[in-house]
Amino acid sequence: MKGQFKYPAISILSISAFILIWYLVTAVFNLFPVTMLPNPLTIVQSFINKLFSTVPDGGTLFEHIWASLTVALTGYIVGILVGLPIGIAMAWFKRIDYIIRPVFDFLRTIPGIAWIPIFTVGLGIGLTAKAAIIFIGVFVGTVVNVYTGIKQTNEVHVWVAKIFGANSFEILWSVAIPSALPYIFTGLRVSFGMAWLGLIAAELIAAERGLGYMIQVARNFGRPDLVIVGMITIGGIGALLTIGLEMLEKKVVKGN
Amino acid sequence: MENENRDKIIWGAISLVTLIIIWYFASRLKSMNMLVPNPIDVFKFLYHGTYEPIGTYSIWGHILWSMSRVMVGYVLAAIFGIILGIAMAWTKTGEAIIRPFYLMIRPIPSIAWIPLAILWFGIAEQSKYFIIFIGTLLIIMTNVADGVRSVDKNLLGAARMLGATEKQLFHKVVLPSAVPQIFSGLQVGLGVSWATMIAAELVRSSEGLGWIIIMGQDSVNMPQIYGGILLIGIVGLIIVTLMRGVESSLCKWNVRGR
Repeated sequence: MKGQFKYPAISILSISAFILIWYLVTAVFNLFPVTMLPNPLTIVQSFINKLFSTVPDGGTLFEHIWASLTVALTGYIVGILVGLPIGIAMAWFKRIDYIIRPVFDFLRTIPGIAWIPIFTVGLGIGLTAKAAIIFIGVFVGTVVNVYTGIKQTNEVHVWVAKIFGANSFEILWSVAIPSALPYIFTGLRVSFGMAWLGLIAAELIAAERGLGYMIQVARNFGRPDLVIVGMITIGGIGALLTIGLEMLEKKVVKGN
Repeated sequence: MENENRDKIIWGAISLVTLIIIWYFASRLKSMNMLVPNPIDVFKFLYHGTYEPIGTYSIWGHILWSMSRVMVGYVLAAIFGIILGIAMAWTKTGEAIIRPFYLMIRPIPSIAWIPLAILWFGIAEQSKYFIIFIGTLLIIMTNVADGVRSVDKNLLGAARMLGATEKQLFHKVVLPSAVPQIFSGLQVGLGVSWATMIAAELVRSSEGLGWIIIMGQDSVNMPQIYGGILLIGIVGLIIVTLMRGVESSLCKWNVRGR
């Protein structure tokens, strides 16, 4: 019984010690100026305030969350819808593989973030530009993962299907794709991480709404408390959506 | 087999040439020329950049700046990542202490640290090192911890039965068997460092490859943006390939099953 609680207790202790030290150096000893490190209570306060207040960036926390989510999900969903079929086609048809693969081998070495200036110049700073930035990252990531997944199809399974007289399309649909599902879902999760990261980057650089914009403005005003509130929100929403994807994966992928 | 290789090279060449031709014609279309510059202008930009300064440095100077940032952040992240990853996976007390922080920090994208880093370290180099460090640290930690945890239980049991001390167990069994995973973490981490460095330079910098493309954005100079992106891709590819070479020459005894 004692051993059972030992490690959770250590965890709780380590977190509490961290917060206590943080509180002591900021609120009691005042070692850091408020524009560098606020005390943890201020952060809780700012968080609650930000739910209703539009100072200093012209939006409440929910408005920023909503703005970020619409952009991220638009780019993400379109990227997946386009990436899935191209990834499958690349893996299944040799000719398409030979033609498109070199292009992708190069594209995947370019970080999604590097596309930001192109779309900012070409499409402005609205939803389309940001969704396009996210689209590129998600699209490339999805293609690469789906491709790898389909390529890993067990050849024995393909032979069995052939012996039973399945045509190429039937093999793809009922052998290759189901067996690639775990890879596809890993791809979906990794791409989501990329989408979220790309979005924050795009909002830091050019935006007038959204969580990335919020922390950028907070920095300009020297408000680290709001920066940290924004970071926690960004991390929290990212984690929630990732958990959602994992639950979906458990439902869809059988025999895992 | 040789036939297949020859086919691959031929198709690859055809594909790249086609891409450049499509690119060229796309840049001639009225509706596309806001987004797509003429490829010849891009190559011209790159060629001139090798001997004429863009801003304060020529292309080589910018590459060196970017690489130096990545190196500092990456090496720090590798050192701390390996130590913390091992501490988190090898002892239960270590896991209990470190894991809560790991779980809290992991979901925050590295880029979201940029504003805080600027508040803490100003706009000097340190803030960029810090951002690259944070972004890479977690990836390397995750891989190292996975590697240490996935040690074959039978090997551990056998070593214990033969009377190995905990220290010997760690040096002779755990560490060698975790090395491939550690390397794969270092490999992925390098790619992440590269991308994070670009983000850090996009937000605030006065030189580097990220600076080239953000300056292109500010002066609406599309060939400069495209040239910068090409450079980022090519240099990134070279670094990652070098790293893979180091890995395969150091870990010859272990061919990764991927």
